[in-house]
Amino acid sequence: MSATDVLFGVYGLSYRYAMERVVSEVSFEIRHGEIHALIGPNGSGKSTLMKAICGLLPFGTGALQGVVRFRGHEFLRDSVAFRSRSVAYVGADLRTDFPVTAYQTVCMGFSSLDVSPIHELTLHECETLKQAMEQCSCWEWRDRLLSSLSGGERQLVAFARALVQGALVIFLDETLSKMDLHHQARIGILMRKLAKEGRAFVLVSHDLNLASEWADFGLVMKQGELVFHGPILQAITAERIAALYPGAQLMVAPSPATGTPKVFFDKQKG
Amino acid sequence: MKKNSFTFEVVLAFSFLIVSCFLALRFGSVFDADSSIIYQLRLPRVLLAVAVGMGLSVAGACLQALFSNPLCEPYTLGISSGAALGAVIGTTLGGFWIVSGLTISAFIGALAFTLVLYFVSIRPGNSTLTLLLSGVMMGFFGSGLVALWMSLADSNGIQAAVFWLLGDLSRARMGGAWVTLFSSCILSGALWLRSRQFDALLMGEEDAISLGVDVSVLRRRVIIVVSLLVSLCVSASGMIGFLGLLVPHLVRRRVGALHGKMLPLCAVWGATLLVIADMLARVSVRPFELPVGVVTALVGAPVFMWILLKRGSQV
Repeated sequence: MSATDVLFGVYGLSYRYAMERVVSEVSFEIRHGEIHALIGPNGSGKSTLMKAICGLLPFGTGALQGVVRFRGHEFLRDSVAFRSRSVAYVGADLRTDFPVTAYQTVCMGFSSLDVSPIHELTLHECETLKQAMEQCSCWEWRDRLLSSLSGGERQLVAFARALVQGALVIFLDETLSKMDLHHQARIGILMRKLAKEGRAFVLVSHDLNLASEWADFGLVMKQGELVFHGPILQAITAERIAALYPGAQLMVAPSPATGTPKVFFDKQKG
Repeated sequence: MKKNSFTFEVVLAFSFLIVSCFLALRFGSVFDADSSIIYQLRLPRVLLAVAVGMGLSVAGACLQALFSNPLCEPYTLGISSGAALGAVIGTTLGGFWIVSGLTISAFIGALAFTLVLYFVSIRPGNSTLTLLLSGVMMGFFGSGLVALWMSLADSNGIQAAVFWLLGDLSRARMGGAWVTLFSSCILSGALWLRSRQFDALLMGEEDAISLGVDVSVLRRRVIIVVSLLVSLCVSASGMIGFLGLLVPHLVRRRVGALHGKMLPLCAVWGATLLVIADMLARVSVRPFELPVGVVTALVGAPVFMWILLKRGSQV
């Protein structure tokens, strides 16, 4: 593939908290239509990597080294507003102490567009918003307060908001973790459909079975380093999983339905 | 959540404001006031109450959004302590300096504290939490200095400063009140223009950045504007507690948390409540006067508690 196909690239990215290197020398590229799963044990630097890439961590202080490119130009040098329309970051939880409804939350996806305080949504924006909320099956309870929704429902709202933002690359940091199987499948199918239309996803998940079901590629991190990047079939193998999670006896077998690698607990020896 | 239309809310708030202004002009320490009392004494007070009530409520709402924390209020950042320090020093040194009493020395004190906050906010790598904690610490430091100064200085003039610290609108003069009202409107308007960015901040800083809000730039600007607004209010009227915390919460219950609609209503309700509180301060213990800060705290706290307990925890 030629270099122009690369939608998003990370080259030699390192990040330090105080003196400690949390992410070191990570490089990978993402192309249109790909779904990547970022996996690794707790504290392996997955979230830090994602946040650093998206510009959510302070990067003017020398803590961050390396280059992030979006369509060839340096991403972190762009304005925050421009970045939000290229790349969206969705966290694990949408938490607020203020009375905001689901609809208003999704509406904020438009807030990067610098508009006046009394801006009413245009017809087109209303349509986009409704479609996104319907796709994430959260349109029915659009008028409920965020604080009255369950964790999984809030994650659906967060996903809808990322769609409204119109970003081409969407980073999901444990965003599917609290959804039930129905909603996980729904969002998975939706990701596949959007990927076909050209968007790209990076999905952080501790649920390896979920990751292997929906992702095409695996990014495996251990102690801040990227130890493997390639097709998901080769990312989740018995040896690699055993090395990542030494405390658990695990086995890997293909799913009888889809053939994707699934991880099972073996009999645990005390 | 069932909501009345926004137009209805605006009309309701403005009617309350107009009625309370009328009542505040009508009633005072003397019963049959002639027009000179109304125009030279009561009108400036009402104007100042409108300006300060508006400023404090809007400042409180904006700080709550900026720090994604509903417990913030205009005095959280310690600017008021700077004003208090300036005022106390100003009153005791008033003879030597050309400073014309409390208001200007309080404003200078508040600006000095604002400057420190600004330098904290522009240092790269400092988080919003650092800024919040610095503000709170500066508040304690300022209060400590005020206490030190008061215990060392002789008592002459301290009485006036103490009364002022509790919130006092009786220094209102016609010219000054208009200037304060005008500046308060301008600064609140400047904050209102950032409504959409405040909205995004309700979910926290990371979410706001991901939504395209340049939080570090916003923080810098908002700190300046809010600090000026608080300095203005505090130096004109002392520390009127509670309004900046109470009003945003009440308004959020009525129209939700989005700032495009909420900030203007905050301004009107804040003005209304302070006009009423000041009227109570003037008439309740005739012929004496209470510091208006005492009234807002004594009436505001129980009312706030009552609303909280009655309607559940959703603030």
